[in-house]
Amino acid sequence: MTRLSTDKLRAIIGRLPTTRDEDWKYTDLSRARDITSRWLDAGCETVAAEIDDDITRITSSIDATWFVIANGELRLPGDTPGVSAQRLDSAPVADSALAELNTALLLDGLRVRIEGTLEKPIGLLLIDGAADAATSQTYVEIEFAANSAGEVIEYHASLGATDHYANVIIDITVGDNAAANHVRIQDRDLSHVQTARTVVNVGRDARFSSTGFDLGGGLIRNDIVIDIAHPGAEISFDGLYLADEGQHIDNHTRVDHRAGPATSRQEYRGILNGKCRCVWNGKAIVHQGADGTDADQANHNLLLSEKAEIDAKPELEIYTDDVKCSHGTTVGQLDEASLFYLRTRGLDRQHAKRILTHAFAAGLVSRIPVESSREAVGKLVEARLAVVIQLDEDFS
Amino acid sequence: MLEIKNLKSRIGDIEILRGLSLSVNAGEVHAIMGPNGSGKSTLAQVVAGHKDYEVTAGTVTFKGQDLLELEPEERAREGIFLGFQYPVEIPGVNNAYLLKAALNAKRKHHGLDEIDAFEFLKLAKEKMVTLGMDPKFLNRGVNEGFSGGEKKRNEILQMAMLEPDLAILDETDSGLDIDALKAVAHGVNSLRSPERAIVLVTHYQRLLDYIEPDFVHVLSQGQIIMSGDKSLALELEDKGYDWVREAANG
Repeated sequence: MTRLSTDKLRAIIGRLPTTRDEDWKYTDLSRARDITSRWLDAGCETVAAEIDDDITRITSSIDATWFVIANGELRLPGDTPGVSAQRLDSAPVADSALAELNTALLLDGLRVRIEGTLEKPIGLLLIDGAADAATSQTYVEIEFAANSAGEVIEYHASLGATDHYANVIIDITVGDNAAANHVRIQDRDLSHVQTARTVVNVGRDARFSSTGFDLGGGLIRNDIVIDIAHPGAEISFDGLYLADEGQHIDNHTRVDHRAGPATSRQEYRGILNGKCRCVWNGKAIVHQGADGTDADQANHNLLLSEKAEIDAKPELEIYTDDVKCSHGTTVGQLDEASLFYLRTRGLDRQHAKRILTHAFAAGLVSRIPVESSREAVGKLVEARLAVVIQLDEDFS
Repeated sequence: MLEIKNLKSRIGDIEILRGLSLSVNAGEVHAIMGPNGSGKSTLAQVVAGHKDYEVTAGTVTFKGQDLLELEPEERAREGIFLGFQYPVEIPGVNNAYLLKAALNAKRKHHGLDEIDAFEFLKLAKEKMVTLGMDPKFLNRGVNEGFSGGEKKRNEILQMAMLEPDLAILDETDSGLDIDALKAVAHGVNSLRSPERAIVLVTHYQRLLDYIEPDFVHVLSQGQIIMSGDKSLALELEDKGYDWVREAANG
């Protein structure tokens, strides 16, 4: 199943980023290297466990046209108006070790093109897991044609609890005057390692909004890279990460403003409990000539345990004059004024804390524009909060 | 019901209340007036139990018990309600959820069963009609995106649901247009009863046209410097706060 000799694959594994690379300072991919090496040693076998029930459970929870990639193998849905899909044999030429690995081991790539206005979202379920340690690759291109509109939901899930490394590359193109919504749900098992890189290119007067939810995973690294090369783009990308004991979740974002006027806005929020570590690194680069750029980035973290650790870093690089840029980062506890308000209504401190923590998370869920997706994500977030902060109540 | 004696309180190093005494009985409506910075809001916050305001001297008893010993939530469950000057917004938490949780916290404290969902909705909608509030506000986030007037109505709705023994309304009239003011006043007046006391903290006399107080107190530099009936408020409106200070000193 591999395109390269085992030796060449081992050489790629040897080139994967390490903590000596500035961009990977806080995220150690040793586990990914180890899992992949063990998998190579065992002959690259992937013996999937019973898989269909898990797929159905997820695909029936959100009303969408689902493309399923299970352990790297693609299952296409039936024909859908406005959507053309194509299986890809290979990924484009790789420009990094992670991309090389992706190209070398890719089973099925996918290209999806959306025209007109989608009636219901496109779902992309990436579900992995096997009898023993394994590695899987995903490569997907999504193109929103000019003037199209719709939503894509990425759902990353695990089968069982065996060591697994998933390496995902998603390439999104938003055509001129198109409006694309993107929802990413990562709900993997603690035994899973994932690197996911999402590259977004937006056209003239295009609108792209993305909301990502990291609910699970042992070691998770997400990169979102957005390129604004034409005027009139409106971009927002938000993320929520809920981390509990033993989790490591790293979100690196980068937006390149190459043309203006254009706006980009990002807000990441984290709730951390137990011994865990999260990273947020938000980079915005306003290139020469990108006049009329308005870029805003924010990262807010609630640390519920002294053992939880967050590394938050905004980075602004501005090479032109006519810009409006702002950033803000907070790490802390719940707002005392709000706690007091709730206590004067007779709620004890613990109850008030649970309410405000819920509200902190719900604030991002509410940004998902499609109601059915918003409700489904809301339920997943509630379920995860019940574990992370023993929040087991219905606030509706 | 509420006995405040020689209360001194400070925030950080700044002393704000400097020996304030006030007695409020069941069935009475008191208005506390005074210029900005006189300590009106501090008094409200201290009675509600805000920990940033340190009490350095004096006593506060409520229905015979030492209020300063109680946590804010215990004060609420015992029957004290503070209507905030600036109610906080809590997006993502339903108004209905908060109302129900608050009501149940109080009921539990008094050994009652939780209110059932049907009864709760019926009660909430009734109160909202009285206050001229659209029932859809029940399903919105607490004060989320509410206008100034809507926030104040929402405070009064919470008060109406909780039926406190003592309601302290901090600048409830500020930022209200005349319709909202009338609705809020109507809500407050409908709660007036021989068992209940209401303390209105206000800068302006306007509110008192709609809620007639039994007593008016003027607060200046952390002390009550003059008390009277509702005519004092009119005199204040006419002559200004400087007049009271001079009259009090003379």
